[in-house]
Amino acid sequence: MSIGVILSAVDISYKFPSGKQVFTDINISTGENEFVSIVGPSGIGKSTILRTLGYLIPPTSGKVFLMGEEVKKPSSRISLIHQSIATFPWMTAIDNVKLALIGKGLSQNEMNDIARNTLETVGLKGAEGLYPKEMSGGMRQRVAIARALAGSPVVLLMDEPFVHLDELTAEGLRQEIYDILFNPLTTLKSVVLVSHNLDEVLELSDRVFVMNGSPAKIVDELIIEMPRPRSSRDSRFSTYLDKIYASLTPTR
Amino acid sequence: MPMSLLLIIQLAVGATILRVLLIILGSILIGWFLAYASIKSPIFENIYIPVISSLESVPVITFFPVVLVIFVTRIGGAMGSELASDFLILTAVAWNIWIAQYQAFKTVPKELQEVAINHELGFFSKMRRLYMPFSIPKIAANLFPSFADGLFYITVSEVFSIGTKTFSVFGIGSIIPALLASGDIYYMWVAMLTLAIWVALFTFFFRYIARFSVAKYGLDTAAPIRRGGKVNIMHTYQAWNTLTGPMKKLSKHFTSPFRALPTKGSFGRKWMALSSSKKYITIGTFLLVFIMLLAKIGLYVVSVPLSYWRYLVSYTPVIIYGMAFDYVRVVIIAFISLVIAIFVGYYLAVHQRAAVTVFPVIQIVSAFPAPVYFPLVFAATFGYMYAVFPMSSEIYVLLLGFISTFYYVFYSFWMGVQTVPSEFWEIMENHELGFFTRMRRIILPATFPYLIAGLSSTIDSAWGGLMIGEYWPDIIKGKTLEVQVGLMKMLDVFTYQGKIGPAAWASLLFAIVVTIFSLFFTKKLMTMAREKYVIEEGVYAA
Ligand SMILES: Nc1ncnc2c1ncn2[C@@H]1O[C@H](COP(=O)(O)OP(=O)(O)OP(=O)(O)O)[C@@H](O)[C@H]1O
Ligand SMILES: [Mg+2]
Repeated sequence: MSIGVILSAVDISYKFPSGKQVFTDINISTGENEFVSIVGPSGIGKSTILRTLGYLIPPTSGKVFLMGEEVKKPSSRISLIHQSIATFPWMTAIDNVKLALIGKGLSQNEMNDIARNTLETVGLKGAEGLYPKEMSGGMRQRVAIARALAGSPVVLLMDEPFVHLDELTAEGLRQEIYDILFNPLTTLKSVVLVSHNLDEVLELSDRVFVMNGSPAKIVDELIIEMPRPRSSRDSRFSTYLDKIYASLTPTR
Repeated sequence: MPMSLLLIIQLAVGATILRVLLIILGSILIGWFLAYASIKSPIFENIYIPVISSLESVPVITFFPVVLVIFVTRIGGAMGSELASDFLILTAVAWNIWIAQYQAFKTVPKELQEVAINHELGFFSKMRRLYMPFSIPKIAANLFPSFADGLFYITVSEVFSIGTKTFSVFGIGSIIPALLASGDIYYMWVAMLTLAIWVALFTFFFRYIARFSVAKYGLDTAAPIRRGGKVNIMHTYQAWNTLTGPMKKLSKHFTSPFRALPTKGSFGRKWMALSSSKKYITIGTFLLVFIMLLAKIGLYVVSVPLSYWRYLVSYTPVIIYGMAFDYVRVVIIAFISLVIAIFVGYYLAVHQRAAVTVFPVIQIVSAFPAPVYFPLVFAATFGYMYAVFPMSSEIYVLLLGFISTFYYVFYSFWMGVQTVPSEFWEIMENHELGFFTRMRRIILPATFPYLIAGLSSTIDSAWGGLMIGEYWPDIIKGKTLEVQVGLMKMLDVFTYQGKIGPAAWASLLFAIVVTIFSLFFTKKLMTMAREKYVIEEGVYAA
């Protein structure tokens, strides 16, 4: 499935200044048009890994590469969607999204068009002028997703992006993101998803990394081979589910 | 003789610092009772809070001449001078502590209050076990600003002249100018150094207390926000933790007047909730107080002959003219402070390693009373300055205003920056936003309420700086620093000449303008800040 390697982390470790070693020697890579997920128990270090992949916090050791080039600072080519929804209360939905377009040499009109289109993609047509406090948690999360998409990232890092959404909206958005990933017109080439929802993970992923232990390591890596659209009624679905559960439970 | 002079200097520094500390302690004790009264009685609260929040934003120093006269003529003697000096310090230290105590008492969690009721704690146990401890972090966060504020005026509060008479109290604020005047440069340096050491020690002590009390008494409420720091590009986590960890927590306890002011809505709701008999009592009390005030003023006004009123009113145009000049100065000072505070504050937020050393230095320098060393700066530079710029008096006055005020904007901005969640910093990094975009779209809006709060106290202390700088007879031997036009100069000159009537008249006019300004400008901005720029809503916890 993977043609070229897009994002790869080589032997990355992270240690908090307090001395807590969160994870060590993690190797993760994503291929072109590949959807990758990371699962693991709560507090294991999944959010921390995503931050190091985007270089928002530099790994204490190891390297991150984006299409063969070493990542040395954060850039909008690797875009993170936070686990806790972060929208700027003093900006309307569209202004929140336009933040990702500043400094890219676009005219105001172009910025407005892109922002509007992206908001429409996440199902927020008509909500452009609303302030975050006038929106529900799920709408705010979609604004944050739109902001990440608007910046034309190569890699999208998503930390529990769908938890604030009702199942119907979440399902629609999952499909949208998946379609964007495979749309040849967009720059997006890989997605790394962190999620507790294993159904969601199996529905979307080409590959699943399972994290466990302390300090955490990758304890399992599964290639998910099921035709799309996938259904939880597929017999392989429960086989994969059992496999993931098996590597999640024993904490060594 | 030299030995005894040395001893006197030590004692004088001790006396000055002790005076400030005791008055702070006294304010804290009184403040607890006032805060308790205001959570128990809505009537008291509705009078107390507006009063202290206006006093906080009015530069009380400008009323000092009038107050002085009352203390000196009514009480007189050493006692009168001491009380006058103490009163000035009180007006510098009390308000922010009182507001902090009130805010703390208002926010004691319901659960804890219910526990207290459940165990039928009496007034003193409730105070001692619940309210007082709960207010400690907020008080601690305000100790340093109060200390610095109290020290600022020592040169004017410990020695002052009315007409031909000079009054002084024992303290370093009266001794240093005397040493400078008599040319005892060596001892003057000794005195300055001694004061500097004590100021530094207390600065560190207050920092320690603030941290300790937040750690011990601070509740980690499950607030729906993550108070993160920023992305640590520099790998300076350790520094970040030791310095800003507590700072971050401290920012929760930082008092800004805009948080204290009851919102219109809340007042309305409280008012609606009162029973009609309570409403009548409230209105009745207000009317009674109002009538008593009117009667008192009326009696006083009647006792002043009409010709004297004409004489006072004839000063009005010059007073207004001087006031306009001073407003321009205050705006310049506030603007410069704001710009520098923002740049320095941002730099330090991004360079944690530098912050660890720079921040305490800024604190110590700002706690050291500027009027004490300002004559030296003047002495060292005036020859050159006046040769190059004939208008140098203006520059000196603006400089003094800036020194006396910078810290407050800086500190507020810094506190504001601490509340910017780590997610926001990460988004700025992630989208590679440039410096000006960050400033304009994120940092400034995020810190806006803090900037406004800081600016209002800045403006307040800028007036204090002007009061001292605009007319400074014998700043160094045989030289007087004075500006051409200025209301503060006018107040100083009136006092110096013993013209208390015109001084009081000018203070009154000034008070009216300041109050209008605060009502129509500062409060409006604060309300706007509160409505729109609430960063607490920025991150929706998962
Ligand atoms: N600033 C910090 N200093 C020290 N330790 C931290 C810090 N932030 C997080 N941790 C610890 O690092 C570990 C990993 O945190 P992280 O947020 O990455 O977990 P997670 O796998 O995303 O959890 P969840 O599934 O609950 O979101 C946790 O045990 C947490 O306690
Ligand atoms: Mg997480």
